[in-house]
Amino acid sequence: RQVGASADQPAVAAGVEMPATAGQPSEVTLKFAFQEIEDKFSVSIAYKSELVKSRKLQFSVDNFRSAEEALEKALTGFPLHFEKVREHFYMVTEKEQPSAGAAMVQDPVHGTVRDEKGNALTGVTVKVKGSNVGTVTDINGNFKLQTPGATGEQLEITYLGFETQTINIRGQLEFNIVLKETSSSLNEVVVTGYTAQKKKDLTGAVAVVKMDALTRQPTGDVTAQLQGQAAGVTVIGDGQPGAAPQVRVRGVNTFNNNNPLYVVDGVPTDNIRDLNPADIASMQVMKDAGSASIYGSRASNGVIIVTTKRGSGKIKVTYDGYYGVQHPKGGNVLHTLNTQETADLRWIAMQDPGNDIYGYGDKPVIPDYIAPKGAKEGDPSVNPDLYYVDPNYTSLDEYNNFYRITKANKTGTDWYHAVFKNAPMTSHNINVSGSTDKANYLFSLNYFNQQGTLDYTYYKRYTLRSNTSFNITDHVRVGENLAFSLVDNPQVGNYSPDGVLAMVMREQPIIPIYDIKGNFAGSYGGGDLGDAENPVANQYRTRNNRSLTNRLFGNIWGEVDLLKHFTFRTSFGGEVGSDWGHSFSYPTYENKEYFSVNQYSQYADNNHEWTWTNTLTYHQVLGKDHDLKVIAGTEANDARSISIGGSTTDYFSFDPPYPTLSTGAGQHNNSSDSYVRSLFSLIGRVDYAFKDKYLLGFTIRRDGSSVFVDNKWGNFPAASAAWRISEEKFMKGIGWLNDLKIRGSYGVMGNQTNPSPTNGYTTFAGVRTSSYYDLTGSNNSILEGFQPYQTGAPQAKWEQDINGNIGFDATVLNNHLEISADYYKKDIKDLLFAPTPPGIAGTAISPFINIGTMTNRGVDLAVTGHAGITHDLKLDATLSFTAYKNTVKKVADNATYFDVFQGRLGNIIRNQVGGPTSAFFGYKIDGFFNSQADIDNADKLAQEKNGPDAVYETDEGIGRFKYKDMNGDGIITPDDRTILGSPHPDFSYGLNIGLTYKGFDFNMTLYGTQGNDIWNNVRWWRDFFGNFNTAKSYTALYDSWTEQNHNARAPKQEEQTYFSTGQVANSYFVENGSYLRCKNMQLGYTLPANVFSKWGVSRLHVYVQAANLFTITKYSGLDPELNGNAATNFGVDEMGYPNQRQYLVGLNVGF
Amino acid sequence: CSKSFLEHDPPGALEIDVIANKKGISKLLIGAYGALDGQNDNGDMINLNGGGGFTAAPDNWIYGSVVGGDAHKGSTSGDQDDILHIAAFSADPTESFFNDKWVCVYEGVKRCNLVLSTLKKVTDMSDEEKTEAAAEARFLRGHYYFDLRKMFKNVPWTDEDSTNLYIKNDKDIFPNIEADFKYAMDNLPPTQPSVGQANKYAAEVYLAKTYLYEKKYADALPLFTDAINNGQTSNGLHYDLVPFQNNWNAATENNAESVFAIQNNVHDGTSTAANANQGDMLNYPPNIAPCCGFFQPSFDLVNSYRTTAGGLPYLDGSYNTDALAVKSDQGVSSGGNYTPDQGPLDPRLDWTAGRRGVPYLDWGVNPGRDWVVSQPFAGPYAPVKMMYRQATMDEFVDFSEWAPGTAINTLVIRFADVLLMAAECEVEAGSLAQAEAYVNRVRNRAKDPRSWVYKYADDENPTGGFSNTPAANYVINPYPDGDFAAKGKDYANTAIRFERKLELAMEGQRFFDLVRWGIAGTALTAYYTAEGKYKLTDYNGLNPHFTTGKNEYYPIPQRQIDLSTKNGVATLQQNY
Repeated sequence: RQVGASADQPAVAAGVEMPATAGQPSEVTLKFAFQEIEDKFSVSIAYKSELVKSRKLQFSVDNFRSAEEALEKALTGFPLHFEKVREHFYMVTEKEQPSAGAAMVQDPVHGTVRDEKGNALTGVTVKVKGSNVGTVTDINGNFKLQTPGATGEQLEITYLGFETQTINIRGQLEFNIVLKETSSSLNEVVVTGYTAQKKKDLTGAVAVVKMDALTRQPTGDVTAQLQGQAAGVTVIGDGQPGAAPQVRVRGVNTFNNNNPLYVVDGVPTDNIRDLNPADIASMQVMKDAGSASIYGSRASNGVIIVTTKRGSGKIKVTYDGYYGVQHPKGGNVLHTLNTQETADLRWIAMQDPGNDIYGYGDKPVIPDYIAPKGAKEGDPSVNPDLYYVDPNYTSLDEYNNFYRITKANKTGTDWYHAVFKNAPMTSHNINVSGSTDKANYLFSLNYFNQQGTLDYTYYKRYTLRSNTSFNITDHVRVGENLAFSLVDNPQVGNYSPDGVLAMVMREQPIIPIYDIKGNFAGSYGGGDLGDAENPVANQYRTRNNRSLTNRLFGNIWGEVDLLKHFTFRTSFGGEVGSDWGHSFSYPTYENKEYFSVNQYSQYADNNHEWTWTNTLTYHQVLGKDHDLKVIAGTEANDARSISIGGSTTDYFSFDPPYPTLSTGAGQHNNSSDSYVRSLFSLIGRVDYAFKDKYLLGFTIRRDGSSVFVDNKWGNFPAASAAWRISEEKFMKGIGWLNDLKIRGSYGVMGNQTNPSPTNGYTTFAGVRTSSYYDLTGSNNSILEGFQPYQTGAPQAKWEQDINGNIGFDATVLNNHLEISADYYKKDIKDLLFAPTPPGIAGTAISPFINIGTMTNRGVDLAVTGHAGITHDLKLDATLSFTAYKNTVKKVADNATYFDVFQGRLGNIIRNQVGGPTSAFFGYKIDGFFNSQADIDNADKLAQEKNGPDAVYETDEGIGRFKYKDMNGDGIITPDDRTILGSPHPDFSYGLNIGLTYKGFDFNMTLYGTQGNDIWNNVRWWRDFFGNFNTAKSYTALYDSWTEQNHNARAPKQEEQTYFSTGQVANSYFVENGSYLRCKNMQLGYTLPANVFSKWGVSRLHVYVQAANLFTITKYSGLDPELNGNAATNFGVDEMGYPNQRQYLVGLNVGF
Repeated sequence: CSKSFLEHDPPGALEIDVIANKKGISKLLIGAYGALDGQNDNGDMINLNGGGGFTAAPDNWIYGSVVGGDAHKGSTSGDQDDILHIAAFSADPTESFFNDKWVCVYEGVKRCNLVLSTLKKVTDMSDEEKTEAAAEARFLRGHYYFDLRKMFKNVPWTDEDSTNLYIKNDKDIFPNIEADFKYAMDNLPPTQPSVGQANKYAAEVYLAKTYLYEKKYADALPLFTDAINNGQTSNGLHYDLVPFQNNWNAATENNAESVFAIQNNVHDGTSTAANANQGDMLNYPPNIAPCCGFFQPSFDLVNSYRTTAGGLPYLDGSYNTDALAVKSDQGVSSGGNYTPDQGPLDPRLDWTAGRRGVPYLDWGVNPGRDWVVSQPFAGPYAPVKMMYRQATMDEFVDFSEWAPGTAINTLVIRFADVLLMAAECEVEAGSLAQAEAYVNRVRNRAKDPRSWVYKYADDENPTGGFSNTPAANYVINPYPDGDFAAKGKDYANTAIRFERKLELAMEGQRFFDLVRWGIAGTALTAYYTAEGKYKLTDYNGLNPHFTTGKNEYYPIPQRQIDLSTKNGVATLQQNY
């Protein structure tokens, strides 16, 4: 089975000619010789067992430097020859002996063998069970077999990496056999750091991702597809097309950037967002020091190794495509009060509710118009002749002459569905690939287009890939992997209180989308209509904005086998990218707060990064029992970017393409920025196996970084060991146990992503917005002035993640169940953090210094099982389980916590020693004050401890929250604030279930998190009447404290918001964020191959699919899955772009 | 190879050896001025600490005026409610506004210290040049520390020689502030090449103001007297009073009355309002400005401008009685009929508080309710002094961000303030007549018809000019000759203090004056009672309450106490 191991990966083995000084080769069986060749050169040799029977020869595999040479020698003297079917695969057959075939009298049984994807399988052994009669399939998967043809006979089909199948012949002559890959993957070759290993030989904690389950998720982003697919990896995304999800390997490892390192075909990179998922052959996550430390300074957040596909076998063309529709939730999604209810709430909450819109009576009267305020139909003020609005106004004089006439929306505008609509998504992928004995090639093209359900958001991407490699001689190989992508992806700000999504929940229902003449309506007119903005207008104004990102990523490489046992490999790779965009800010007029300026902005940036890797690999099997592999190498990396931007104001015309940076009459503004960072590394690795039972690995990397000044160099060693206990004699008798390996590792991983490249330098700068000054009193110009810009920390050094891991891999029940479990502990020392200095230090950027410490401990568990329920009905299931506990141990010398500012409630998040990062912080609610007696009782206790003037709580009042006195001093002070919750889940899990029945396949993926909290800040806006004049929630009107309803959710609705209601961070906003989501459900059917074969179609699979079909949660907000990148402030919902339900139909065709 | 491969000089930044010279010092000095406004901008209107521009406003409109009773927060409930809690003295030390103010002002200190420490490394300047540069830096440092001292009382003193970030706040820093202003006074020239630069007289006045805050009246008086008699502005104008409204107009600023001002500007190429007056960005009436209806003058303040038939103020507080209170349109919609107050009024009222029926600069006759966000919440009045004019807004206002920024200077000290401070010192020196003369000089300027508001020539065309008809029944006169002497020191003090209220209203001074005079408790309690009659809802349930012995100063920000705690030992102590 060919997975991952491929010519452009670091050499798996190197054959070296050895003089026959070690004595005469001993006599062995041909079968043993084949096994030796397989082991030494990591190849597979297929043959009929009868061919090797009783055949012996003088043979020592050490004498050969390639599999071909060894096979040539081994077969000399026998009527046999071999054929290289594809890379790493050889087939031994008898030389043509026509007479032998003619002698047979029975009709030949014949047919083809394919895998589940319809690819022909070469070299599959097909034999009559219990006999010596057998054959292997040819390059097209065809076989012919002379059998006795008895009805009771069975065909047995065996193939490495696939489940053995037995078929009753029953007189049938033609068989189209589909082999299913076996779930036991011990011999799977896994690409690890600078080498490749068989899975059974791994000593580190490596999660091997199942690609078929991964690519089933309908999204363009590989990292989003990773959700729930690998134990120890947490992926949280949102519904915005193209939005990068948050990917964390084994929890939070540092205060800032927690993104893992990706290594694509050997080239390290920070992001793989534009990688076409269909191009990926394999993906491995290196989680512990044993596996990841070889990546040294970039290993601490985990390393995800991606290998792209390459061609094999005869030329193949495949097409994969789907089309689908994304549906936003229906109904009153946000539980928003309608116009009448909004007015009723005002009359309940306010002493003096009358205003010009609803009138001044005992009850509100919904007016006919909101502009002019409260006007009635027929008023002279609503005469359309008076109307004057020019949306493209260019001066405030014009603006000040506007006369707006806007009808009230008496039932209420559904702002959610005004901007969220059904939207299509589609993906088309064409792949052409193949190989000869001297070269392999792959070419793929993908078009991906996901329109956003939110107006004017989408993700459109074109990717093109070309992977080729050439065997120039038996000992020299070269190749390249190149991918080019073009991305157009307008996004909106997520979870921002002033972003367009927040406006959807803030804009009042009485405001219609448009005024009487079709221009936009809004909150113009003052406080009673709030100060939110019309989200339809905001998005409409982005319609002409454009941007484009392109990226060329890949490498060229060469490999030479040298001397004895050595392979030298060099790879030069990296990326070149650029992006540009332009946007136009239209003047606004419909909102309370308006922008009168029109402005065109444009930016462009260019970045490139190269990595040059050189490794020398030594691999030798010493005797029969000692397998030693040593790798030494160097790696240099250099990353740079430069960006420029500009803007101009005052355009005569707003219609594109007129606005450019040059054509505006107003202020011209420009900026530029640049970035440069380099790394140099020395790499060492030793893998040793004794009797394939005792496995040891040592890695070390020495990294130098330009980010550090005085302490540039850091060493990152790791050791790992494994014991394949099932290979021991005393375990051999246990029938249900197929394989058991115990692993352990300990080592140091590094991190340098947090500090900026200039962290080590104390610098000064002229900043026009803060250090320039109009010293001459000109009113319209500034003189250059300097300020301290950055305080340098030349002493800063590498962050160290000291990591211990212990785990086991077991295969049991006749390979039906695989279990892999790990427990780990990470101590992050010298954590780079930029503590805020005392205010007297000024506001210069404070440097990252090695001050913090943090620990993570956790459990990763992966279980894979498969079972044949009946002959045709097969079940496959994989479960991944991730649990971690993150604890901050030290923040800084001068502080035990740091808060992260979060908008209008002030600090709601505290990263505190003893707790996890991003903990929610505030006052804990201890019920309501239900009566004056409640207040008096609280005050009485307060006065006993604090004197006669004391009050229990600021702004205490009937129907308001009573906070819990955490420190027992009788009064509520800031010291009573406490940790209210944590956004870290207790655990998260993913479950893939697959069922196949004849041609049908069914798959389902579930993902969930348990025990995490969400800070639902949307409730701050909508559950408290006093918090701005936003649209309000059902809770505010129907579930708030009243004399009749003491068992309410929200406090008494009042005009003002108080310390004792919604003015400070308190536990009202903290909710259980656990959820279980059906990420994907798919039903497919593979049409029988013979139906279309006359058109050259070898495989046709059609499917229907639903993504995000259902979510089980108690969370009251729109979507419990909250994206957010910062490790120190996540889990806060301020209205995000929700994940949407998607329905798709898809097609996979192979030619 | 690998050594240089791993070294990259930071792009776009300067290291100290590049700026330790004469040219660099001049740029560092400008940078020290650049922190006067406390503002930065990252596309959002933020202060130097990253908070809202208003929290660190250099005119202290929140900490001096809203807290002092000049004005209400304004706007609506829920919008920057912190200000209500600050004004009700219920904000605790964790209030982020205090921290913003602290950090932004200390950034100014830091930049001054950078000038002074870098000067020691400079070799291409003469001693005189170095002294003058140091004097300018020390003037600015004195200003920053004065702001900190009056806000927070005991604050840590850090200077150009400090290397320690953990400095106790256990000393009164007034002596250090005196030393800075004295050095500046002794070494700054009387005039400067640029009008924005501090000169000798600005330092003299600021030193005198420092003495006044320390109640060292005898030290202050000769300095004030010298400044009044001989002082001139940086651009060489002899100190004098100008038509009242010219102080808050970008077209007429930097006039003879401007002792020291923060130079705000717009359209400076930054495409932001960063160097404009960001501190007051919220303080413009809604519907004529894009934001936000904060800082609404109080009833008490407006009523204070009621004059007797003789044109004098009601020093006994009776202006708040029903009989004397200024008629307002509270509770009346803009569509309804309304006649403004007909009684005698101090003309400064209409340059201080916008009220219905009176021309509001050149924006038109104020329509009342439509130009405030919520009358029930914060009353019917709009701020005037820092509001921009319609006719010149293209020139003096930046609208490129979510709230306007104007080029109107932020006045730190103006000459009328000097006269009234000098009057206080004269009272203490027993010269009641001279004190009276200074007060009357201020009142006579207000009496000057050039300082009045007039009706428009055409109400429909407010930018078309004004008629000769005063907008209201303005009746104002100086105190009769010898009135102070006749009624004694207490009366004189009462009159001076009331004059400061009227003259310097909405300029961020009131609360600091009340504290300095030791009457904050009684004055504010009276204010809460008087204002309470109007049943505004902004303080509903907040129970504003000034605690003597505690609320004279704002709490040392808890954040700073925490950040200054090293290895468990707190460096900073709370100031009460």
